[in-house]
Amino acid sequence: MGASETRRDRLFHHDWRIAVNSARATFAGWQDRLIAGTMLLIAMTVVRSWFTDPPWRIAAWVALGAGIVVGMVAGRLVAARLRFHGSDGLLAAEALQSLTRRRYMAASHGAGIAVLAATTLIARPSLLIISAPAYLAGAFAVHMITNLARPVPAIRKARPGWTVRRWLRQPGAGIVAAMILLLSLLWANTLGTNALIAVVGIEVILLALTLTLVDDSVVRFMTIAGHGARAIVLHHAQSLLPFTGLAVPICLVAFGPVAAGIVAAASIATLLLLAARVLAYRLYGKRFADLLVSIHAGVLLLAGYAAPIALPFVAIAILWQLQRRGAAKTWLLA
Amino acid sequence: MRAVDLTVAQGSWFGFIGANGSGKTSLLRALAGRLPFAGGSCRVGGEELVGDRAARALRFGFAPPPDKLPDSLRGRDVLEFTGGKMEEVRSRMGSLYVALGVAPLLDRWIGDCSAGMRQRIAIAAAFAGGHSLVILDEPFNWLDPVAAFDLRRALRERVDGGLTLMTALHDLNTLAAACDAGLMFADGKVAMTLSEDMLQTAARTPQAFERQMIDILRSETGG
Repeated sequence: MGASETRRDRLFHHDWRIAVNSARATFAGWQDRLIAGTMLLIAMTVVRSWFTDPPWRIAAWVALGAGIVVGMVAGRLVAARLRFHGSDGLLAAEALQSLTRRRYMAASHGAGIAVLAATTLIARPSLLIISAPAYLAGAFAVHMITNLARPVPAIRKARPGWTVRRWLRQPGAGIVAAMILLLSLLWANTLGTNALIAVVGIEVILLALTLTLVDDSVVRFMTIAGHGARAIVLHHAQSLLPFTGLAVPICLVAFGPVAAGIVAAASIATLLLLAARVLAYRLYGKRFADLLVSIHAGVLLLAGYAAPIALPFVAIAILWQLQRRGAAKTWLLA
Repeated sequence: MRAVDLTVAQGSWFGFIGANGSGKTSLLRALAGRLPFAGGSCRVGGEELVGDRAARALRFGFAPPPDKLPDSLRGRDVLEFTGGKMEEVRSRMGSLYVALGVAPLLDRWIGDCSAGMRQRIAIAAAFAGGHSLVILDEPFNWLDPVAAFDLRRALRERVDGGLTLMTALHDLNTLAAACDAGLMFADGKVAMTLSEDMLQTAARTPQAFERQMIDILRSETGG
């Protein structure tokens, strides 16, 4: 902490330090930085082409929607961080004072709006008059909702979500999901081949993602309790495996190889995503881990588009790197 | 928590003990401003602070939950954020700095720390700001026997030097040997008030004290 740093700014500096340290650790090697730089360049090129080609009016509507969504996400993030700081953080006294809360919110949204403005300037500078106010509107809406919401004491909260999540990890959930898929495909099959492929594609992705919800705190607990990465992935894949084992052969027999291939490919992709999330949660906090997995997913999409034959090798390389970094985290109990 | 009434004398070590889920942690977190009080009164140094979480958080040094310390900070960062310059933190901590073995943890990433190391850093953070009122929730968890012994002795020295310390404990022997007064909780209520005389007697006859406390806890919780 610098000598000139005032007490009022410590909250933002605290989070800034965490962000910088996490980024440094993640992009420690020149290969990581190269991949990230390339991805950023490609992403900016794609965004620019999306916003430059259509008429200004349409681009403005998209910028409005995107700005509001980004502002709302940022608003939720800032509110969640302030809640954490006030209850479990190092700087609770600052986080509970209205002046320092306002300064923290201003600094955080200043950073958010700077990133959005830079992106807008690259994409289409004239949209800045839309995206920046939209961001502020989104962030303000979340701020108002957060302030109006009355916190419910934890002890009185019903926890239906926990019960559902727990059930979704049971093998029985995978069997039920496979039955749902097959029944809906029987209906979709009457609408023609194209409808069948569309339904199977959308439905299998939704079902597979639902069956592979990952709780970062469970991953963290299992890690420090001595469970290896493979055991944690298998724990979270208990329902996906029977789902795939049932749905693929039945689809093959009932609807042909295309439908079965889609189910198999989506299941494998979801399993890879699950493994990447588990490995990332062993290393980092949830938000940063999710960001990292998103970047890796982007790399995989790029590899699949540019050189499909390289896709499995890139996927293995990413998982291996995460596994190697996370291996040292097992058994950190005492 | 319901109907809790307690007074903690300045320069004393006050212990909270009770069954899991009896409300010890909730009460300590509320005292330290980390949770709101639903009602009642909370006077600190004669000043009413029940409705002012920020003021309570300012008054008390509090050890954050070790598992919530940010992985991407080093031990040094944690202490500097809570206490300012490291030299000042070092001097404020006194004998606790050595007892907690802080020096080897300064350049270590929190993410690379074991549970015991995190616990040591979290306790150090409670003292880094130089508060005269400190709250620790089960400070001896995860510590090895040597570290627990050294910490208990260093805390006692600080209390004898004027510190007011409140700790939740699970160990009846520590309560009897180290604390000046305490409360036993069961099912969100005070099951027993433990005076200084009682604890002094308990320190002389720890086995009898343990038997008595276990009987009370069993009868209160139906265990």
